[in-house]
Amino acid sequence: MSYLQRLKDINAKYGMFHAMTDETDAGESRFLFSAKDNLTSLDMETCAGSRILQGYVPAFDAAAIERMKAAGGMLVGKTNMDEFGFGTFSANSAYEIPRNPFDRERSCGGSSGGSACAAAVLEGHVSLGVSTGGSICCPASFCGVYGIAPTYGRVSRYGLIDYGNSLDKIGVLSAKASDLRKYITIMAGRDERDPTSCVQPELKSERRRMKSVAVPKDGIQGLSGDVEAAFNDSIETLRSMGIDVEEVDMPSFRYAIPAYYVIATSEASTNLARYVGMRYGVQEGDLSLKFDDYFSSIRSASFGDEAKRRILLGTFTRMVGYRDRYYAKARQVRQLVIDDYKRILQDHDAVLTPTMPYVAPRFDEIERMSALDSYKTDYLTVPPNLAGNPHLSVPCGYDGNGMPIGMQFVGAHWDEDVLFTMAEEWEKAFDMRRPEVEA
Amino acid sequence: MKIGLEIHVQLPTRSKMFCSCPTTDAPAPNTHVCPTCLGMPGSRPVLNRKVLEYGIMLAKMLGCRVNDTTWFSRKTYFYPDMSKSVQITQYDNPIGEGGVYYMDGKKPIRITRIHVEEDPGKTKRVGDLSSLVDYNRSGIPLAEIVTEPDLTSPAEAREFLKQLIEDIRHVIDLPGDGERSIRCDCNISVGKERCEVKNVTGLKNVERALTYEVIRQTKILKAGGKIDRETRRFDEERGVTISVRKKEFEADYGYIDEPDLGVYHIRELADSIKIKESPQKMALRMSQQYGIDQRMAKQLVSTSVDLAELFETVASRHGTQSAVKWVAGPVSSNWKSLETSGADVSDVMGIIDRFAAGEITDTECGIEIKCLMTGEDIESAKGAAGDLDKLVSDYLDQNPGIIDDYRKNDKAANKAIGFVMKNSGGSYSSAEVVEAVRRLIESRL
Amino acid sequence: MDRETVERVARTAHIRLTEEELERYSGDLGDILGYFELLDEAPNCDSYGIDPIGVADVTRDDEPRMTIDADRLLRDMNTYERYVRGPRLS
Repeated sequence: MSYLQRLKDINAKYGMFHAMTDETDAGESRFLFSAKDNLTSLDMETCAGSRILQGYVPAFDAAAIERMKAAGGMLVGKTNMDEFGFGTFSANSAYEIPRNPFDRERSCGGSSGGSACAAAVLEGHVSLGVSTGGSICCPASFCGVYGIAPTYGRVSRYGLIDYGNSLDKIGVLSAKASDLRKYITIMAGRDERDPTSCVQPELKSERRRMKSVAVPKDGIQGLSGDVEAAFNDSIETLRSMGIDVEEVDMPSFRYAIPAYYVIATSEASTNLARYVGMRYGVQEGDLSLKFDDYFSSIRSASFGDEAKRRILLGTFTRMVGYRDRYYAKARQVRQLVIDDYKRILQDHDAVLTPTMPYVAPRFDEIERMSALDSYKTDYLTVPPNLAGNPHLSVPCGYDGNGMPIGMQFVGAHWDEDVLFTMAEEWEKAFDMRRPEVEA
Repeated sequence: MKIGLEIHVQLPTRSKMFCSCPTTDAPAPNTHVCPTCLGMPGSRPVLNRKVLEYGIMLAKMLGCRVNDTTWFSRKTYFYPDMSKSVQITQYDNPIGEGGVYYMDGKKPIRITRIHVEEDPGKTKRVGDLSSLVDYNRSGIPLAEIVTEPDLTSPAEAREFLKQLIEDIRHVIDLPGDGERSIRCDCNISVGKERCEVKNVTGLKNVERALTYEVIRQTKILKAGGKIDRETRRFDEERGVTISVRKKEFEADYGYIDEPDLGVYHIRELADSIKIKESPQKMALRMSQQYGIDQRMAKQLVSTSVDLAELFETVASRHGTQSAVKWVAGPVSSNWKSLETSGADVSDVMGIIDRFAAGEITDTECGIEIKCLMTGEDIESAKGAAGDLDKLVSDYLDQNPGIIDDYRKNDKAANKAIGFVMKNSGGSYSSAEVVEAVRRLIESRL
Repeated sequence: MDRETVERVARTAHIRLTEEELERYSGDLGDILGYFELLDEAPNCDSYGIDPIGVADVTRDDEPRMTIDADRLLRDMNTYERYVRGPRLS
């Protein structure tokens, strides 16, 4: 916990934190943690990567943060992210863009990029991330750490600044595999302030081991050479650990990306309607304007490019005349994906793919991508997110430049136990590298 | 002319619809508020179960089919009083659909649907410079009742609302001052195209706004013009409606289901909820069951459902005639004085029992009831009443034709009433005179 | 997506677009919707829910309770005599 004194220096180098603690002494705290900046933190500014929320100092802790504090944790910082979670590289932000601990010219992934960065850089640190379409596993993979997004509804979303309410899940990133079980267990459980947390069965800790995994054929298409090689090596390691690996068909897989973006942006565009320059965040505008004009001027000036794009997309897909084709159909497709996972997971303990099709890209490469290119990048992480299944990313290799590669296990609804155990076993079998950190 | 209404009624819960803030009058602006009803980032809705219960009660009262499963939707629109710019309401699968309400127990007004939703806050204009918003009302539960365009005049719309509100008040125990809090969106078409007058408060204003629209639309049509489909608002002070926006600029609410709440299986809850008989239904049933005039039944029920219930008790013990004579007579005419005397009206039963047993006379029974109700002294009342009865009897002796006329039309009593009022020099209240005249005529029939 | 539709959507969403943005978003959204045509190919499915885990019947009792001080919530708001300041209504 010695890094507290050096926190500001470390942050100057990697840019993982937005707000940070001024404490230099951990005092009685049992552990230090950070949380993605879309989780409200009592008296600590919370902006969710958006300029429109600048100056918002919440009057309450998110349930996840509250439970971490109650367990003896000290919140040291709020991690940088894509605005409202809208992105794959944490580059769509009004604030600082976190830099990859293995190569600062590259992205940490997103949207919980700051969390993955903190988990990779800070010794013995645990960070809370939020996943809507892959925002925990993607940065975990790019930064070479463990990351888990539990089942939808496992961790209370009270205090989470919404992106897509039927998709958002709060999870954990850490360089230490056993942290996943430890901290998800602390945060899980029903919370009467979030109805969607109130139907969950008890989180088991039976340390059940995986016996067989299924690899969907569509999930090993379009990979970069390095990722494909590392993934194939990892399959051999899994087999040597006594786990069966079998290829399967998953017909709904290819439809997941459009279905996800329709549902996510439909919900997001309604969630973001509340940001109008009143009550919190940006409030300085000309109130003598008519309300329509006042709201439009604040929103146009304060939302970033990707936020505007997703608001437009999501407003369109739920409009009269388009709603059935997009919003209604997307929800049918979500059910197909849920049903496909159910069917496959009757015979297998997890569905396995690489986490991302390539290693962390450089920022100049990201700038050249179109919006659609970057949406399509999420094709491996989106299916489990759309279906609300728990999913885990573990580091599984490095490319020629030493950039980390990850693979992703997807479990059945509520079966986090088998994923925790997998991470703990994998940690023993895999030779993980830590980035060289000097501040 | 076709008129359809969308009626908003605040439901009498103790806490708000999606948060636990109290619904009682707040001491100052923005005191009964929390992150949820202020729409703060990170807040979340949790449904107050009582709102579902009230919704089901009203659905049943309106003869709606209660859906097995119901859920909520987000209606997105921008206005300073709507803290989330999203109203949580119902779109698909509202609580109830396809009902019918019988005005005066006869004329069917079809009910399209009933759903529940949250109220926005309140705005205040500050000159023309900006606005001020109080979110104390934000999140108060509302029921919205939507009718088919079955009403045919502004006066009928008002009468319909009056009866409906009386029923609602009784069925869900709405506080008495509920009328001002009733808000209506009024759809009206004189020709083919319809206009919607939004957010009209109170019965009187509904009639005024609709009447204004009838005249406005008729004028345009007569001049060969076309009615624009549009949304208008009602200016209470000037008594006119004003165009707010044309149809083609209507907001697209972009409804999606509310993902934070899930669904509600309400079949069992609906089956377990028994609602009280509504006043209009009670009046209709009583008129049929006891063969009494509909006006009398309505009079009893609208005076008080307790009075109507007393009528039924007396009728079951001593027959309908007794009930008409005593309950619709002196009990009813002195009902208002119960408030000041604080008497227990069930004591009336004992008096009527003694009359039925022949222990007291007709006149004594009337006086005792009156004294019980008003708290007057029996002996002085007896004297005064004796004088009143004598005055009436003497008049009837001299004008026996009134009895025959009364058989054909009970308005014949008015002649006797007028005479007695004039010749008693104001010693008796009109209610007392009416009661005495009717009682003594009835005894001679 | 044609410019007119983008303009209509933007107006509904209360986003004002510059000429450059209008041009760019028309292109981007056109690409994205083109890709979304995949959805038309996907099979239909009769039973689907609001969320992936079937949340149902979660309610609370009708008990008034305030856990966060309203004054604390108003602290950072632009207010006048406890009213929240807003823009002109019409």
